[in-house]
Amino acid sequence: MIYGFRLPTINPHMSGARIECIYAEPGNALKIGSKLFDLGVDLSSAFAQECPPISFFRVVLREPVFLRKLNVARGQLCELGELVALFSNEADESLSAAPVRDIRLTVAGIIHHDGLWTGNVA
Amino acid sequence: MIELPLRLGPLCADGYNISRSGIRWLIQPGQYCRANQIFAYCNISLEPTGIRMSGPPPFAEEMELQVAFAARAAGRILGGAGAERGGYLSIRSVDVWDAGAVIAYIEAEAEPDVDLERLRLLMLAGRRMTGLADVHTGLLPGWHGRTRGWWCDEGEMPVSLLSLGICDATGVVIGEQCAFVEMFEAATAPTQMVFVPDHPLAPATPVLLDQLERKPAQFQAIATDMHRFLSDSTLAPTADDWMVSGALLSVLQRSPIQDSYSLLTPSGTVRTEPADAVLLSLSSEPQSILRHKSLGYHVQILRHHQAAAGPVFRAWLGSAFETVKRSIDDIHSDYLRLLDAMQAATGARALVINRMSTSGYEDISSYSLFDAPMSGTLSSIAAKELNLMLHDIAEHRDLVIIDVDAIAADLGGAEHLPDGIHQSGPIQAALRVEILHALEDLRPKMQLK
Repeated sequence: MIYGFRLPTINPHMSGARIECIYAEPGNALKIGSKLFDLGVDLSSAFAQECPPISFFRVVLREPVFLRKLNVARGQLCELGELVALFSNEADESLSAAPVRDIRLTVAGIIHHDGLWTGNVA
Repeated sequence: MIELPLRLGPLCADGYNISRSGIRWLIQPGQYCRANQIFAYCNISLEPTGIRMSGPPPFAEEMELQVAFAARAAGRILGGAGAERGGYLSIRSVDVWDAGAVIAYIEAEAEPDVDLERLRLLMLAGRRMTGLADVHTGLLPGWHGRTRGWWCDEGEMPVSLLSLGICDATGVVIGEQCAFVEMFEAATAPTQMVFVPDHPLAPATPVLLDQLERKPAQFQAIATDMHRFLSDSTLAPTADDWMVSGALLSVLQRSPIQDSYSLLTPSGTVRTEPADAVLLSLSSEPQSILRHKSLGYHVQILRHHQAAAGPVFRAWLGSAFETVKRSIDDIHSDYLRLLDAMQAATGARALVINRMSTSGYEDISSYSLFDAPMSGTLSSIAAKELNLMLHDIAEHRDLVIIDVDAIAADLGGAEHLPDGIHQSGPIQAALRVEILHALEDLRPKMQLK
């Protein structure tokens, strides 16, 4: 079966998020607890602001799957609901079918670190 | 309902006459105001009377001097004829301070035991980051390296609080108009609030310790090193490089914890000791900090403030400094050193705003998904461990925890603290109550001085 990861609403005030880190590549077999992405949610992204209210979140898998396709790159801004990645139960399953549901995952607030795009590349 | 004149009341400076500008209104004519709500202000200046006073003149560094006005009871405020002068006469000091001068009238209910005719005065002073930052409108206008506001009646000595936090302390102390008006309204007891902004240096404990311990020769070495880098750079420094460098030098040579203050009061000029209490933010403690490779001092510049610098300054940060990781034990140790140094230097009490340690935006079903130590990754776990660290310190030091974690949980974090640091008005009001309560405990000691 094919599963999708669409950018979820983490904060009701957000309109999107930045892909700060990508921890997996297409073809990787991922276990429960595998890190997928770090996301940056900037509530002031629409305009420059002093002390921007940016929060960082880690997306971690809660089921074993294969990562099949990534639609984003590090540093990219995504909109709410945007299809970020596709997963499957089998390594070579056809991606022609639509995702049957969203992938099961955990979202946790994290501390800023040196691997994030914001504050290091930006 | 009665209508009464509102008079300036006494205000004195030993050896100086006080001059004031015309009145500038912050309300519409006839507007209803709460008791203690600031409704107007004027600029003031000090003119020598001819009697030579020893030492430097008071407020020599503070080019912004203002007095804001509030009535002691709620009522409808009407402007007095001729109180506003208009044009530059509402900016420059043109009238002598006259305690009996009427600047407005109030329609209010009579209140026994309250001198309704006498205005409450909020004194404001600002030390500019640069003399160029002269802005002529509003309360404490311009760019300041330090601002303060104080209030007292005859014979009263204010207790002083110095705010050295980041955003979670800033809004609480200076309020929405950046002029302490909410604190003034919340506290009728004699109080001084001093505010030092978090730019260009954020007030992490290693930075504050450096400021407390730095000798003039060490500052000179810092200035020489910075000048050498900017001069020897293959890139030409931009205006932004020079401005951020200048602001940083200005801050590095000061130690706000050790500042003492001049106060204008109804009884005359008072020179006070350094602040009785210092307000810190636990959120200003980073998990890594920059340390100069050869001179050993620390800088912590918030990411959005680093953007104000040019390429040469940023190259200097990248090459002359090393990143030092800080565990919670390191932060604990730095706090103990700072509190002990403060105690030795000034005896000030520490008030620390803790961290919001829960988030409604997480859906963690199992912590087994995260590597140990989780406080190195998860912000909520790091916040809880840092909050616990404060409790450990408070067992043995004069430290009062200002518990934003509990207040936000009570009022609702999603509604009132959406990003975990920038609070709503109701949370700020609750925090003011907590801070003022922590100062009450210091007032009896003040009377003994």
